[in-house]
Amino acid sequence: MANEPLFCPHLVSVLADKTLGDVITKKYKSVVAWNAYRSLQVNRQNKRRKIAAPTCGTCDTPLSRPMACLQCPYAGCWQGGHSVQHLTQHGHSFCADTKTGYLFCSECDDFIYDPKLDSMHLEAIVSADAKQAKFLLPKKPREYYKPWVPNSQEATVLEGAEAISCQRRRGLLNLGQTCFLNVVLQCFVHNPLLRNFFLSDKHNHRQCKLENCTSCEMDKLFSEIYSEDPKPYGPITFLVATWKASPELSGHAQQDAHEFFISALNQIHLTSRGSTNVSCNCIIHSTFAGQLQSDVKCERCGNVTSTVDPMLDISLELRGKGGEAVPVENTLGACLRRFTQPEKLSPKEYSCGKCGKAAHEASKRLSIRKLPPVLSFQFKRFEHKTNNKSAARKIDTPIRFPASINMAPYTSLTVKDSGKDLSSPTHPYPGPESMYEYDLFGVINHEGQIDTGHYTNFARFQDEWYRFDDDKVTPANLNACLSSAAYMCFYVKRHLDYKPNSTPSYVLTRENEALREKEMEKEKEAARMKEVEDDLLSMV
Amino acid sequence: MPPADVNALYLQLRKRLIESGEWEQIRAVMFAKLNESGWCDDVRHKSKEAARGMEPLAFDRLLADITPRAASTSIPLAVKREVSTVIRQHLEKQFE
Repeated sequence: MANEPLFCPHLVSVLADKTLGDVITKKYKSVVAWNAYRSLQVNRQNKRRKIAAPTCGTCDTPLSRPMACLQCPYAGCWQGGHSVQHLTQHGHSFCADTKTGYLFCSECDDFIYDPKLDSMHLEAIVSADAKQAKFLLPKKPREYYKPWVPNSQEATVLEGAEAISCQRRRGLLNLGQTCFLNVVLQCFVHNPLLRNFFLSDKHNHRQCKLENCTSCEMDKLFSEIYSEDPKPYGPITFLVATWKASPELSGHAQQDAHEFFISALNQIHLTSRGSTNVSCNCIIHSTFAGQLQSDVKCERCGNVTSTVDPMLDISLELRGKGGEAVPVENTLGACLRRFTQPEKLSPKEYSCGKCGKAAHEASKRLSIRKLPPVLSFQFKRFEHKTNNKSAARKIDTPIRFPASINMAPYTSLTVKDSGKDLSSPTHPYPGPESMYEYDLFGVINHEGQIDTGHYTNFARFQDEWYRFDDDKVTPANLNACLSSAAYMCFYVKRHLDYKPNSTPSYVLTRENEALREKEMEKEKEAARMKEVEDDLLSMV
Repeated sequence: MPPADVNALYLQLRKRLIESGEWEQIRAVMFAKLNESGWCDDVRHKSKEAARGMEPLAFDRLLADITPRAASTSIPLAVKREVSTVIRQHLEKQFE
């Protein structure tokens, strides 16, 4: 097994040849893009334009998911081995599944893997989607995806640097009922956007001058997790910083993980450089901030008043308004549908601005106006009967949640038009589906009752799941994670959308300050030199 | 209806549904329901665990292993019924 090649040698040799490699790459990318454009056509549903239905070169069946040969115009079925037959009959080596981009090699007689294929696929998909992008600002085009290639300066730095794995797991010690802290920290550590931010040294705790800085605590946490120390780490300073910032979370009793989560987000935001009260683009807001839209409709005159509110996460009710039990569908989808369903307002709650009369029939409807890169869901399992925490009860009903979710049905654009004919030409195009696809990466579990319970969590790195129980970290699998009773779930957008590039104002300020400091240094140095000269002269 | 004609009708219907985008719409509805029911994740998990222990790993071996376990046996009845209804509705439109 040690001698078995890691990648398909046939593809490797083809890509190594300049001419042949270019031909194959170009054809592969165009095949992937063809499918991306076709899916967008389906979304757009222009009744006058037909969507391409290529037929199988072997059996003439119209194809919804062709396998495309990379060396000739042949397209065919996977079923019945038609496309594989074509490869062997014509001596062609590769055919690609247009839907997924997976490549079949006739000589390996199998689907193959190559990292170059992955990057080609990503480039083609993202490029096709960006061209059909939606919600663009006028005259401000979307930043197109470019794979990162180090410039000469960066290459020199990289040459001298030691690469460490970006995969690291470390248990966290329970410091006395602090499992609520540990599970949230593990979900931060496995959050790709937070991880990339702190591993890129964007908030260096040795340079930061703030006291009691939670962002510094995050930086320290990442340094500890990624250190070579295999022993579990006790996040003592993080806990102390939390107590100082939020006294209500202090004390040795069990705290609510969600409460701590929100408090931590707020603290990291407040201690971030350049954070603002409105339209903040600190790492927390860039990662978690979305917008909820609330539409109140007067049933009498049809007037709709919309308000937009910021949100960092979504809390989902498990009981209906009347306190009725959870309906048959115990799924995240059902919770989201309930979240976005119209709700009748009592006459006391609303009076229409347009038809001017109070005590009318009105309905309110929530929808997601802006989806954040990381979506956090909380299932409201703890119902507090009164403000007295000890009188609260826990709703243990397991809710089924998926490894991947499409959020389009819960967005303002779609919710507004639900019930109408979605194929009408006036229905606004929602944008490429990839904008709405999210993948699960973290789950927080709670077992037991409110005050005597225990928190654990699952988190994913790339394709593998792990279970975290304070200091104990064990390999797990998707099924174990999905079967667990979730209290909170974290999803990350599959493809990020980049706004037009602009340097943040605080970076410009910092650069100006650095220039000014240099000038002052020069002046100081010059003054010092003059003093030395004067001294020397006076001695003569 | 003789089998050759049935086949020709099937191919024609298939072509029309793909060209109008309905085929993809039906597939998307089916996928959304299968995903929400947990079937997709179940298949993904079974495939992953089967692949983990497979030596040598090959697609056709994996497909042969998963197909009987995942195919018609575990698809929830409710999903089958709902998707059949959607397909029927689209087909009826074709004959109007």
